[in-house]
Amino acid sequence: MGDKSFNAFEMAQQQFDNAADMLELDEVTRELLRNPMKEFHFSIPVTMDDGRKKVFRGFRCMHNDARGPAKGGIRFHPQETIDIVRALSMLMTWKTSVADIPLGGGNGGVICDPHNLSNREQEQICRGWVRQIYKNVGPFTDIPAPDVMTNPQHMLWMLDEYEVMSGKKQPGFITGKPVGMGGSLGRMESAGYGVIINIREALKKLSLKANATSMSIQGFGNVSQYAIELYIQMGGKVICVSCWDQKDEKSYSFKKENGIDLKELKNISDQFGGIDKSKAEELGYEVLDGNEWLVQEVDILIPAAMENQITEDNVEKISSRVKIIAEGAHGPTTPEADKIIESKEIFLIPDFLANAGGVICSYFEQVQCNMNYFWTKDEVLGKLDQKMTFAFNSVYQFSNKNNMSMRVSANIMAIEKVVDACKGRGWV
Amino acid sequence: MINEFNRTFFDDEQKISFIGEGELGGKASSLKFFDDILKESDFTEFDEIQIDIPTFTVLRTDVFDDFMTQNDLYDIAYSDSSDDEIALAFQNASLPFSVLGDLRELISKVNVPLAIRSSSMLEDAKYKPFAGIYGTKMIPNNQFDSDTRFTKMVEGIKYVYASTFLKDAKEYFTASGLDIRTEKMAVIIQEIIGNRYGDKFYPNLSGVGKSYNYYPINDTLPEDGVINLGFGLGKTIVDGGFSWIYCPKCPNKKPPFGSVTDMLKLTQTEFWSVNMGEPSAYDPIKETEYMLKENIHSAEEDNTLQNLASTYDHATERLTMGTGRDGARVLNFAPLLSLELIPVNDLLKSLMKVCEEKMNSPVEIEFAMTFSQDSSLEKPYRFGLLQVRPMVVNDTDVSLERSELSSEDTVIASEHVLGNGTSSNIQDIVFVKHETFDPANTKLIAKEIAEINTKLLSEKKPYILIGYGRWGSSDHWLGIPVTWSQISGASIIVEASLENMNIEFSQGSHFFHNLTSFKIQYFYLPLSNDFPIDWDWIRSLEHITDLEFVSHVKYDKTLKTIVDGKSRSGVIKK
Repeated sequence: MGDKSFNAFEMAQQQFDNAADMLELDEVTRELLRNPMKEFHFSIPVTMDDGRKKVFRGFRCMHNDARGPAKGGIRFHPQETIDIVRALSMLMTWKTSVADIPLGGGNGGVICDPHNLSNREQEQICRGWVRQIYKNVGPFTDIPAPDVMTNPQHMLWMLDEYEVMSGKKQPGFITGKPVGMGGSLGRMESAGYGVIINIREALKKLSLKANATSMSIQGFGNVSQYAIELYIQMGGKVICVSCWDQKDEKSYSFKKENGIDLKELKNISDQFGGIDKSKAEELGYEVLDGNEWLVQEVDILIPAAMENQITEDNVEKISSRVKIIAEGAHGPTTPEADKIIESKEIFLIPDFLANAGGVICSYFEQVQCNMNYFWTKDEVLGKLDQKMTFAFNSVYQFSNKNNMSMRVSANIMAIEKVVDACKGRGWV
Repeated sequence: MINEFNRTFFDDEQKISFIGEGELGGKASSLKFFDDILKESDFTEFDEIQIDIPTFTVLRTDVFDDFMTQNDLYDIAYSDSSDDEIALAFQNASLPFSVLGDLRELISKVNVPLAIRSSSMLEDAKYKPFAGIYGTKMIPNNQFDSDTRFTKMVEGIKYVYASTFLKDAKEYFTASGLDIRTEKMAVIIQEIIGNRYGDKFYPNLSGVGKSYNYYPINDTLPEDGVINLGFGLGKTIVDGGFSWIYCPKCPNKKPPFGSVTDMLKLTQTEFWSVNMGEPSAYDPIKETEYMLKENIHSAEEDNTLQNLASTYDHATERLTMGTGRDGARVLNFAPLLSLELIPVNDLLKSLMKVCEEKMNSPVEIEFAMTFSQDSSLEKPYRFGLLQVRPMVVNDTDVSLERSELSSEDTVIASEHVLGNGTSSNIQDIVFVKHETFDPANTKLIAKEIAEINTKLLSEKKPYILIGYGRWGSSDHWLGIPVTWSQISGASIIVEASLENMNIEFSQGSHFFHNLTSFKIQYFYLPLSNDFPIDWDWIRSLEHITDLEFVSHVKYDKTLKTIVDGKSRSGVIKK
């Protein structure tokens, strides 16, 4: 989780303030958008497998729904905090706005570690979370989705609880469900592919070919795995990937100079993306410290694990060869590091643009669920590419026209649309 | 040089682009080559005609590779599964992600009819043309909703991919001795030349030109070439339907019809168009899902026959050029060829000459044209070059005296033979029995032939095929409507005539091209042939298979065949 003094919400607010200054927003509008509009804290009592009772702490924030129902993930993480949830709900508002989908921003989570919970215990947490928040979420108010350490099975348990409580079939309540149970084809790929669509477009702007580039990536979860898959299909070479080792409670980087083999790494990883180090060594991977992914001699870096990973302390270690950083995770770069990255003229694709693929496909899933008519994978992923490419190019053009960084441009464009919606509704 | 698709189609200066990596395939490479040639060539004398290759984008062969591997399709593709099973498996698969965004952008900006065409690695190679073996899908692409247009285009692409592994293609590979595992498919997405008339979209004129003619008529020479003209989409011609056949050197000489009424019967009466109206039944694995075949009378209201047809006056039994009067229309293209209202013939001659020079071999071209009635336009006519492929011309020196045609050991002889060369490796003869032959049963006959063909092909035994009427005609009243795969093992094909099946000598373009490229010798025996088939001898041979309409007999020695390409005579001897 990184430095404990780091506060993701403060960072998100700081980035918002910068954009608000540039937009010369009035105080009332700032006040409305600096904080979530709704915030829920609740307890989820669970009977553990050994018969003990345990209470887990859960959250849900709805940052803004001026542009449509709130949308955002649910994270299960032992170091989850309300500030992280607040920050992520704000980021979701900007993300849905920059992706130009008619949704607002929300986020939620539970302080827990699924590594140490049985499936039954996880199911109880999922059902308990829904029971606590039932009245304030739903297909037309706030639509949850999977995030860190939550998966389609968790979503299905939550949906089931919601439908039991509502007495209706409402698959649009939640997204990221299994295919065939209201899930959308292409959902698994969407977030990772979305990151690479952005990189593909950035490479075009830099006149580079994917097959002449290499990459290092932090994290080996869903986003990373699909990002690696598509990047390799495009001809690129991934030489380093890092992941969390639950047993050692620290992260490691796995390096192969002539390129990792995604299939073999997937075969030796667990459901959370943790790679077995001894098996990796047998397969010829160098097992390095978890921070080594950042210092590799590559053209592209993707932080796709957690927030607060590229900081003032380590940003200088980034190789001069790096040309693109695409933020697959939420808030992986601190504002201080951001400035240094900009001074190094590295093309940075900000988080809520780079990782918008997931929420775009979530939106598609919700549309399909509400129609009860499901599209082919070609249709889902074709639309995803079109939306992502459009979003990237809109931000890029704005950035060029106004001589601003991609992050500031994306922030301004996103915030402006939300402000317009709030004003249009007469809220401010 | 060809540009990467930049998510425009018509707006780009470059009318040809590609998506993905790998090869462009034979057809696309050839079209690109001739696009450059057209730009360099001087066609200023045809200043009223816009001459070009219709805009297209190619999905290169790596996209096909990714599609096959990502969806694990090779097992079913190489299996003996039925065509429907293979085509459906392909429809259920997903295209590689890398092309989806480009395709969606393309379709969101384009709403004119599109042809989705094959462009395989091996297609259009000089000696193995694969002409008509792979699928083409025409889509109206006029739905309001871009999602629907996208879905239809994707279905079309998957259909073309699947056609690589359908029965026709597999048997073609077997017959040609090629390994299907070496084949890769690129796909061309191309605008269709034409105009919309109500619910139909079609070109005013389509055609096929060959710069070398194996069937010269009216005292012309093979080198004078031959042109088939049709109305509507070119499918009429390439499938072997009725079209107007003439030599570009003497465009006014009509084909040898016995009478005007013959001409009425034996010229084009139906035409193909793209269906722009009510969607037809959903059938993504049918090539003609969005195509209409109608009588030419339905084009009267479109006012599109005036430059092409003549009118038959029943009272005088004469033809009048044009469509100014009421009466049956005859598509003899007289206003174009005799009055030269539009210099189509001169353009075709010039173009074939250029293509021949550039390919250094005789060529076959496919084209389509539209005629605008807006005379204020600088270029009211558009000529789209759709395909250029080299033709195989066999020049082995063979000499055959006429006396040899009627010797005692002659089984079959004719002075209307296609091909050139000698052979002495055939023992098997497959023939249509004249005692049970009826033009109404030709589709059943085709099935029986296919059954025997499959057996002989698997045994690798070449054979002589004897039947009545025009082989491979899409009109089953004109002959036996076999597809190429149904007769792909035949080495010699004999087109005999009966009183009730006496059709002029001609084949569909794709069928013809395959005949010539596989160096199959083709004997045409008109009713008036001086050399009758020795049926008594054939029937005395050992009967291997005896079906209702078709028999297979075997000679215990080998038959000797001599075909003299120069004199166009040939003989098959015991």
